[in-house]
Amino acid sequence: MRSRQSMLEIFSTFLCFEDDLVTRWIVDGKLRRSIQTCLGSSREDEASPRFWALYWHQTWQAEAVTDRSSPLGKIATNHLAAYLQEVCYWSAQKIATDLSKKQLISDFFQIAMIKLDRVIKGFKADRGTELKSYASLAFTNAIKDTLRQRQEVEICTDWALLHKVSHKRSIESLQQLGLNPDTIAAYILAWECFKTIYAPTGQGSRKLDKPDLAALNAIADLFNRELGNLSNAPARCDGETIFQWLTTLGAAVRSFLYPTIVSASQPKSASDSSEFLDDFDFTVQESLLTQTIEQEDEIDRDSQRSQLQKILLRALVKFNVESQRLLQMYYGQGLTQKEIASQLATKQYTVSRRLTSVREALLTALCTWSQTTLHKTLDPNVMNDLSVTIEEWLMGHYSHPDLHTETSKR
Amino acid sequence: MNTPSGLSMFAIPQLHLQLADNFQSQFWQQAESAYSHPGSRWQAALNQACLEGFLAWIQVERAANAQAWVKAASRPSFWEIVNGAAINFDGGRVILIPTPAIDFAELRVPQEWIDLPSWAGDYYLSIYVNLDDGEIQVLGYTTHHQLKQQGHYNSSDRTYSCDSDDLNSDLNVLWLSRQLCPTEILRAEIDPLPQIPLEQAENLITRLGNATQLRPRLAVPFLLWGALIEHSGWRQQLYRHRVGLPEQWSMSKWFQAGISTLGQQLGWEMIAMEPAVVLARGEQNTTTKILLRQLTIAGQPYELRVLPKGDDLWRFELHSTSTNNIPCGVKLRLLTEDLLPFANHEDIALTATDRLFLEVQVSPGDGLVWETEPQPDLFDREILRF
Repeated sequence: MRSRQSMLEIFSTFLCFEDDLVTRWIVDGKLRRSIQTCLGSSREDEASPRFWALYWHQTWQAEAVTDRSSPLGKIATNHLAAYLQEVCYWSAQKIATDLSKKQLISDFFQIAMIKLDRVIKGFKADRGTELKSYASLAFTNAIKDTLRQRQEVEICTDWALLHKVSHKRSIESLQQLGLNPDTIAAYILAWECFKTIYAPTGQGSRKLDKPDLAALNAIADLFNRELGNLSNAPARCDGETIFQWLTTLGAAVRSFLYPTIVSASQPKSASDSSEFLDDFDFTVQESLLTQTIEQEDEIDRDSQRSQLQKILLRALVKFNVESQRLLQMYYGQGLTQKEIASQLATKQYTVSRRLTSVREALLTALCTWSQTTLHKTLDPNVMNDLSVTIEEWLMGHYSHPDLHTETSKR
Repeated sequence: MNTPSGLSMFAIPQLHLQLADNFQSQFWQQAESAYSHPGSRWQAALNQACLEGFLAWIQVERAANAQAWVKAASRPSFWEIVNGAAINFDGGRVILIPTPAIDFAELRVPQEWIDLPSWAGDYYLSIYVNLDDGEIQVLGYTTHHQLKQQGHYNSSDRTYSCDSDDLNSDLNVLWLSRQLCPTEILRAEIDPLPQIPLEQAENLITRLGNATQLRPRLAVPFLLWGALIEHSGWRQQLYRHRVGLPEQWSMSKWFQAGISTLGQQLGWEMIAMEPAVVLARGEQNTTTKILLRQLTIAGQPYELRVLPKGDDLWRFELHSTSTNNIPCGVKLRLLTEDLLPFANHEDIALTATDRLFLEVQVSPGDGLVWETEPQPDLFDREILRF
């Protein structure tokens, strides 16, 4: 993969896969115009990619407050998508290589890119870490989590799946079918009745079979008794209708939790930008630009990051060999807790407990430091942020030579 | 906005805990008749797995004194009707909400665990239960305060829910924040529930206790439902009706035929009182059987004794079983079934004393509830039927 050099490329091009190989970078013309405007009109023509990434992240944040789907917010998202192409690729590639089964990198790449919105939402510039290192962590874990979920979907029958899907996702699956809210409410009630009457009754909940006629009729009876609670009560229904609804829901849930990935051979930006970018007036947000400059200065001036490194390193060397090895396997080799357990011939439980207590020691060190040295007021959200910072740091520390901190060119 | 980082659930390695190898075979054996329908039996399997797995971890790693809120024998009366379990530790209380959902999308807490004063907790844990692989996984937590302020209330299934992205995904933060930010507001205010009269409670128990009523928690307005089941004695009765058990707290049956299984599981014993002791108090010279159960109040061991005095007169005694006396201020109290006081229903230790006692005249069929102040550990009110 040829690495991108110019600022124009970095914020306006997307990877193109052919037969699971990256062949070239595809330019999105509109994004190119946008970044061109930015570069041209700004005094910051010496700025680093990191600077513009911060700028677009700030733009996204400002837009997200007012309007989730504003055109400017979308442009920001797409610029960040372009910016994070390599990070996403390396996360996908690493996991595809680690897995023994033949897996498509392009597939993993897409899985990760689908989560881009949440990555952007989860990143907080004021943690003092890089968007790239956060994205690397989040993409990697998102891919792993999706694989776990898919594996479970694959081995479950539709009927088992109906017990293993959340309320929230059930509704979303039905929304994706284009059903109206009243119909969805009726389906959901039928689903609740199903779960009440028909459930796994012993070992092997993944193989739950289709309910028999008596069970279906019982579900219909319960549904008919309860339908008065719906705001627009549907007609009474029988076991046959219930069966159809549940079958529809089961299939909808399956394809929602394990969507068929469209071929990745076409250039795929996260953008569906054409229709809304055509008549969009590209301008640089002066106030945001100033804010970003200030923020970047602050991050650079901040000696906190090197102090933080020291604190963590000091805590890290105190761990015994076993714990060090565990961290190396988890963060360095990217193994799952389960995989580590089988390599060490121990139980996942033990791995999990040890990992938790190692992370606790690091978190305690960091919290104490920020409370006593920085005189920061801690609250659980701040602590959670510190915890994510530790994660980013551990991941960077144990792996990813390709993610070495970009230094500002300014 | 003051919420944790989105996606941090993905970012932070989660706690995986293993269940005992024979968990499933044990559970399904004993669960057969303990629940009225497959849905509640499955719900109970998830809850028991979640409770056993998490309790073992918290006791070893975080708080040796952590205890499940109620004794094992009382738990089916929860899981028959609602999802969730509670653990008390070090002055804190966590509510465990198990889910079999593989998508990890949300935490969905039944309203009972939020809006019933004696049920509500400080922390709410979302726990994925995978029975097939024999493991549970802690997905994250939030607080009562956050759920009440920022959670979404769903009227269709009476739950408070929040997206998993809004959960705090590092369980270490829960314990560390107890040390480092002790002033964090954990609980929001809860509106008091109405008191329902005995007759109405009995009607509700008859109606909702019918096992064909498959979704009892949604069948009557929440305040009414909540007031009914917050009374543990009524919750137990409701359960008993739903699974078709006979009365478990009948004093006359206990004295004729022995203590019911459930009574024994909850800690009741029957012993023969030494005649000499009885004589010393000026009673007839026959062996008298009395009931007793051990209690722990404020860390001290006690014994509650129930003695039949004949002619529907009953005596309740609270003894200290350690070398210490009962400290000043401790109370032993009896209430009617619907928790109303009556004349001479309370004895209080005005000075340190070796025992508290009450005598009460009952009519056949009366129900009495005992309680102490402070409450004993794992207290779950019961209605003794005379």
